[in-house]
Amino acid sequence: VQVLRWSEVERYQAIWSLTVCILPSQANHTEHHEGRHYSIPLEEVKAVFPHGLPYRFQQQVKTFNEACLMVRKPALELFTYLRNSNFAHPAVRYVIYGERGTGKTMTLCHVVHYCAKQGWLVLHIPDAHLWVKNCKELMQSSYKKERLDQPLQASTWLKNFKTSNEHFLKEIKTQQKYVWGKRESTEQGRPLGEVVEQGLARVRSASDAVGVVLKEIKQQCHLGSFRVLVAVDGVNALWGRTTLKKEDKSPVSPEELTLVYNLRKMMMNNWNGGAIVTTLSQTGSLFKPSSAYLPHELLGKEGFDALDPFVPVLVPNYSQREFESCYHYYLHRKWLQHEQARTEAGKEELRFLSGSNPQQLERLAGPL
Amino acid sequence: MCRRVLSKCSLNTSRLGAVPTALGSLSRCPTPLWVQTLSLTPSLTLPCPSSMPSPRVLSLSPESRAQRLPLRSPREGAAGRHDASPQPALLGAEQTQGPQPPLQHLHLHLHLPPPALPMPGAGQRHPRPPSWRRSAQARLRLCPPIVGTEAFPGPCCAEPGAAVMAAALRRLLRAGGRRGAALVAAAAACGPGPQTLRLIYTTTAAWKKNVAASGPEKYTEAFIKKQIEEFNLGKRHLANMMGEDPETFTQEDIDRAIAYLFPSGLFDKRARPMMKHPTEIFPEQRKIQWGEDGRPFHFLFYTGKQSYYSLMHDTYEKLLNVQKHQDQLAAQDLPPQKEKKNLVGSRWLTKTELEEMLLEKLSDDDYSRFIQLLQKLVMMPCGNIEENYIKKFSREISAQLQKVVIEPLKYDEQGVAFSTGEGRRKTSRATVAVYDNGTGKITVNGIDVLHYFPVLQDREQLLFPFQFLDRVGKHDMVCTVSGGGRSSQAGAIRLASAKALRSFVTEKEVEFMRQAGLLTVDPRVKERKKPGQEGARRKFTWKKR
Repeated sequence: VQVLRWSEVERYQAIWSLTVCILPSQANHTEHHEGRHYSIPLEEVKAVFPHGLPYRFQQQVKTFNEACLMVRKPALELFTYLRNSNFAHPAVRYVIYGERGTGKTMTLCHVVHYCAKQGWLVLHIPDAHLWVKNCKELMQSSYKKERLDQPLQASTWLKNFKTSNEHFLKEIKTQQKYVWGKRESTEQGRPLGEVVEQGLARVRSASDAVGVVLKEIKQQCHLGSFRVLVAVDGVNALWGRTTLKKEDKSPVSPEELTLVYNLRKMMMNNWNGGAIVTTLSQTGSLFKPSSAYLPHELLGKEGFDALDPFVPVLVPNYSQREFESCYHYYLHRKWLQHEQARTEAGKEELRFLSGSNPQQLERLAGPL
Repeated sequence: MCRRVLSKCSLNTSRLGAVPTALGSLSRCPTPLWVQTLSLTPSLTLPCPSSMPSPRVLSLSPESRAQRLPLRSPREGAAGRHDASPQPALLGAEQTQGPQPPLQHLHLHLHLPPPALPMPGAGQRHPRPPSWRRSAQARLRLCPPIVGTEAFPGPCCAEPGAAVMAAALRRLLRAGGRRGAALVAAAAACGPGPQTLRLIYTTTAAWKKNVAASGPEKYTEAFIKKQIEEFNLGKRHLANMMGEDPETFTQEDIDRAIAYLFPSGLFDKRARPMMKHPTEIFPEQRKIQWGEDGRPFHFLFYTGKQSYYSLMHDTYEKLLNVQKHQDQLAAQDLPPQKEKKNLVGSRWLTKTELEEMLLEKLSDDDYSRFIQLLQKLVMMPCGNIEENYIKKFSREISAQLQKVVIEPLKYDEQGVAFSTGEGRRKTSRATVAVYDNGTGKITVNGIDVLHYFPVLQDREQLLFPFQFLDRVGKHDMVCTVSGGGRSSQAGAIRLASAKALRSFVTEKEVEFMRQAGLLTVDPRVKERKKPGQEGARRKFTWKKR
C-alpha cells in the first residue's frame, strides 16, 4: 500500500484528470481527447468483441476488470475519414500498418467499436493468418472441386459473427436459394441467420456458409439500409503463402482455400455502402522477415496490386504525451508496484527501455 | 695410484675438453635428438625451456662410457679394466637406464635432473648395488673420478685444483670405512672448492644448487670468448643472408631476421628461436677466486659471501666519510648541507637485482641489512656527497599511470554539442557519438535500438551510463559497432558511451563513473581450449574403465 502525502495525491489527481481521464464510451472522440483512455463496459466488450482483441489485452481486461483503450491519432484519423466518406462511392480501403507492437490491432478494434456503436454491420476477421496455417482438417470443397474447405475455422468465425451481429442476421434476407446438400437448402428470402445456423449445424458446409454470408452482404449493402465495415486483421495473409499441404504433399496457395477466396472478393472495391479497414501484421505472417512492416514488403506484389488503391495509415510508437498517459494509467490501476517505478527516474527508465513502444512497455510493466 | 687417477682425470678432461663446439653448446640445452643434426650457424642457440642451460649433461658416448664408474666386485681385479659393464654405475637418476643402448655412433645427451632436486633421503634409499659396501679405498681405486659433468672443467682448472683435491682425498680415505663415502661427498661438496675432481657418489648436500656461489665458472672465459666470436661471425653471415650491411646490423635487425627466417607460432616469446649476444644468454658467473697456489684473491673469501661483505664494508666506509664530513662542517660552524636527494621517484634494488649484481646468493636478512645501511646513509644530512655511490643502488620508477585526458566537447554544424567515445568488449569494437539536447533516441549501425537489440538485457546495458548520471532522456546517440555477439556489442557500446559522457560531466562524476566500473575495459575474453580437455575447463567424460 503506497502511503502518499496529501500534495502528492492532489498532483496525482490533477495528472489523472488531464491525461488519463476515463471517458465515457461515446462515439464522438475528437482531437482534444487524444492520449486519454476511454473505457468500454464489459457487456459491450462481450457483444462487440467476441473475437478480435489481442490476447494480452484480454488478460489485462480480466485483471483490471475494465477495458480501457487509448484514443490515438491514427484512430481519430480513421474516424474522420469514415465520417466524411461518401457511401455512394466504392468502398475505400484503409490499410493500417506500422512496426511491431505499435498498436495496429488495437486501432482496428477501436474502429470496430466505433462503427458498432454507430450501428454498422461489422465483418471482423480477427486474424487472417489463422486461416492459412495450422489447419487440422482440410476438406475438398463440395462446391468447387479444386478448392479446399476449412470447417473448423469457418465455424468459429460464424459463431463469433453471430454473437456480434445478432440483429442484422434477422434483417438481411437471402436473395437466392442455396442448396447445402441433398436434403438441406435455404430458400430465398430467409433471414441470414438461418444460413449461419446451417453453417454451424453442418460443419462440413461452414465455409460455404461463410461464402454465402459474404456474398449476400456485399450484394445488399449498396441499398443503403446498413453500412458494412469489413475489418480484417493481418490482411497480408490473404496474398502470401500458406503452410498447408494437400494430401499429396503439394503446397496450397491461398486462393485454393474457400474462405480466403471469398474474403478476397470482399476486399475488392467493386461494392459501395461501407468501408474496408485492414491491418498488416508481421507477427503471424509466414515467410516474411521480422523487419518487414511496410505494405509493399508484407503484401507482396499480388496483394499490393489487389489492394491498390488504398489509404495507408501509419501507427507510430507512443508520443511523449501518449507515453505519459499510459504510464499514469498503469500507476492509477496500481499495476506498477515497484517503488522506483513511481519516480521520475523510473519513468525515464521505462521510456528508454521500452523505446516508447506500447507492446514493450506493457511487457516491461508486467513484472513491476 | 693417485697419479694414475690424476692422469686419467686429465685424460678425460682433455678428451672432453674438445667438446665445446656447437654441438656441445647445443648439448647444454635439452634439445631432442633430431635437433642436434640441425647444426646451423654456430652461435645460433635453440631455446632452452629454462633460462639457465641445463646444468648436467652426461655424455654417454662410447668412449666416455668406458671411463664410467663401473661397479665391479673386488674379485674382478684392480682399476685398469674398464669394460663396459652391463650395469654401469650411473648416477641415481640414470639407474633406470639399464643396459647401454646399442647406438654407438650417436652422442646421447641425457639430461639429469638439476641438482636442486632432493635426493631420496640422504642416500639411504638410494638404490645402490650391493658392492657399495666395499671400502672407500677400493672404490676410489676402481673409479676414475672424472666424468663429463656440467662442471665442464676446462683444462686450465684441472691441474691446479687436482693436487689440492688429491691431497684432500688422501686425507679422507685414510679415514676409510663407510663414512668415507659421506666424507668424500662432503669434500666434493665443500663449497666453492675446485670441482675438477668430483666423485659421482655424492650425498644430497652436493646436489643442492647454489647458482651464484656454485663456484668457478661452468663456462670458461675462452669458451665465452669463442661464443662471442661465433656470434659475431654468425651476425655477419645473417646480415649477408638478409642482404643488409654487416657493419650496421643491430640487435633489432637480428631479431627481425630470425623471426623472419624461423617463424614460430609459440605464444611464449622466450620459447621462440633467438640469437642474442652470448653475454645475454650465458649468465654471468664468478671467475675463479683463487690463484694458482690455491690462495684466494679476496680477503673476505672465507666468509662465504665475499662480495656482500665487501659491499657492506664499502658502504660503511662511505657512511664514515659522511660522518667525518659532517663533523668537519660542524667544527667549522657551517650549517650542514640541506639538499636532500629526492627519493620520491626511485626505488632501491630488489633482492634479485642485488644478487645479480653481486653474483652471490643472499639471504633476506642480508638484503634488509644492506638496504637499512643505505637508508641510513641517505638520511644523513651530508649524504649528498656519496650520491654517485648511492645511485648505483637505486632505480627510477617509471612514470605512473598516465593521466587520462578528457576531450572537450565538440560542436557540429547545428551548434549541438557532441562527444565521441570508443569502447570494446571481447571482440566487439564500438564508436559512439553522444549529442546534447536529445530525446533519448539511439541509433546503432543505422538501425533503431529497439530493432538492433530486441533483448531487454542489452538495452539495460545501454541505459546504465545515462541512468548513473541521471541523464536518461537528455542525449541522443549514434553508434557503430562491429564484431562479437549481441551481449559483447552492448557492452562495447556501454563503455564507449560512458567514455563519451565524460566530456559532459564534472570531474567528480567521472570519478564516480570510474568507481562504478563504467570506464574500465572488461578484460574477460574467451579462455583457450587446452589439449586433453574438451574445453577450457571441461574435461572429457571420465570413464572408470
